[in-house]
Amino acid sequence: MNDVLLKIKDLHAGIEGKEILKGVDLSIGRGQVHAIMGPNGAGKSTLSAVLTGRPDYKVTEGTIEYDGRNLLELTPEERSWAGIFLSFQYPIEIPGVSITNFMKTSLNARRKAKGEPELKPAEFLKLLKEKMAFVQMKGEFAKREVNVGFSGGEKKRNEIFQMAMLEPTLGILDETDSGLDVDALKIVADGVNALRSPERSFIIITHYQKLLEYIRPDVVHVLKEGRIVRTGGPELADRIWQEGFDGIDG
Amino acid sequence: MASSIYIIGKDEIPARVSLKENERLDWTLVCLPGTSADVSIDIELDGPGAEVDLAGLYLCRTDEKLTLKVNVRHNSGGCTSHQLFKGIVGGQASAAFDGLIYVAHGAQKTKAYQENHSILLSSTARAESRPQLEIYADDVECSHGATTGFLGEDELFYMRSRGIPEKDARRLQIISFLAPVLERLPEELRDDIVSEC
Repeated sequence: MNDVLLKIKDLHAGIEGKEILKGVDLSIGRGQVHAIMGPNGAGKSTLSAVLTGRPDYKVTEGTIEYDGRNLLELTPEERSWAGIFLSFQYPIEIPGVSITNFMKTSLNARRKAKGEPELKPAEFLKLLKEKMAFVQMKGEFAKREVNVGFSGGEKKRNEIFQMAMLEPTLGILDETDSGLDVDALKIVADGVNALRSPERSFIIITHYQKLLEYIRPDVVHVLKEGRIVRTGGPELADRIWQEGFDGIDG
Repeated sequence: MASSIYIIGKDEIPARVSLKENERLDWTLVCLPGTSADVSIDIELDGPGAEVDLAGLYLCRTDEKLTLKVNVRHNSGGCTSHQLFKGIVGGQASAAFDGLIYVAHGAQKTKAYQENHSILLSSTARAESRPQLEIYADDVECSHGATTGFLGEDELFYMRSRGIPEKDARRLQIISFLAPVLERLPEELRDDIVSEC
């Protein structure tokens, strides 16, 4: 087995003709947790958009190899089937679609793509209940329309719930901590920590060091003006907290 | 109870119905793709205990023009009316819902509810909802709600990022959205509609 799960080389990408990532190099090992920190506008969300294949973002140069495959050739749904999961910074509301129906469709689409039979209703319900308990969601939650009328904290917990349901190989958390109070932050962090395993890697994109107190990363990168300017251990996050991003240069 | 299903553009829909004491009416209107129409119905609640339950769904996917005018008139007290209309509008189609709830002087203990929700599939589609309430009694329970949603790129990408292919994602939302009205239809018609989604 290859120990490198994700290898990004000289990635240039942007939106509407504007280049935002200007040569990102990043290598993530299987089972590792990498934090990507950086000021607003550094390109953090562009990186998550490119990794998940958002159609409005264009890659102009560079390569991304994921689990031995050329990631850039895959559609967003194929990337999901291959084990990539993004916890959205701003989770989207899907009116009319219940959490139950959404998750059932999601899990079965992946099983179909892999040539596996659909989940039996009893199996699905058991899994649903188990994962809801995991993020401290109550029974009514499964009947609610996806993210409709959810508080900020509920939306983020819903993302972690979906991540637990889909059991990704690479989980990307895009500013999951923004707008969360300490209690919700703790639920989210506990959820992520429980999902850590030697087969599962995480990219934690964050502006603040707070979340990294709860989820200790193996590696910390600083993204500035579209490039990774510094890579270090968890102590780098603490230094940024004290000195700000201005003190970190390439 | 008179329970009827009308296909707009195909079935003759009574333009005016009067309900006497304790009479009930249960109608579901269906507008299938490719149908342009101007439908107007007038339901008169003329005796205490009369009750009307109206629902409808419309699928306008290309360049249809649909106008639905529904007047529910509570002429007598002690009557109940329910209205639930849901539509999918795409392409360059336009759909308008005009819903009047009229409660006459002295028509006390009236209960009247109206909901109209639409999903737009394109930026060139139009859905209008014009609810009107005319209430001349004071002991009335009345509510109305109207929304227009958009099945846009963000929603699609969110579902695709969860492994749901684009085509299934669109269908999932449309079918879920229409479900409360679809449930009122016989299986065969329901399947026909679902296959159109």
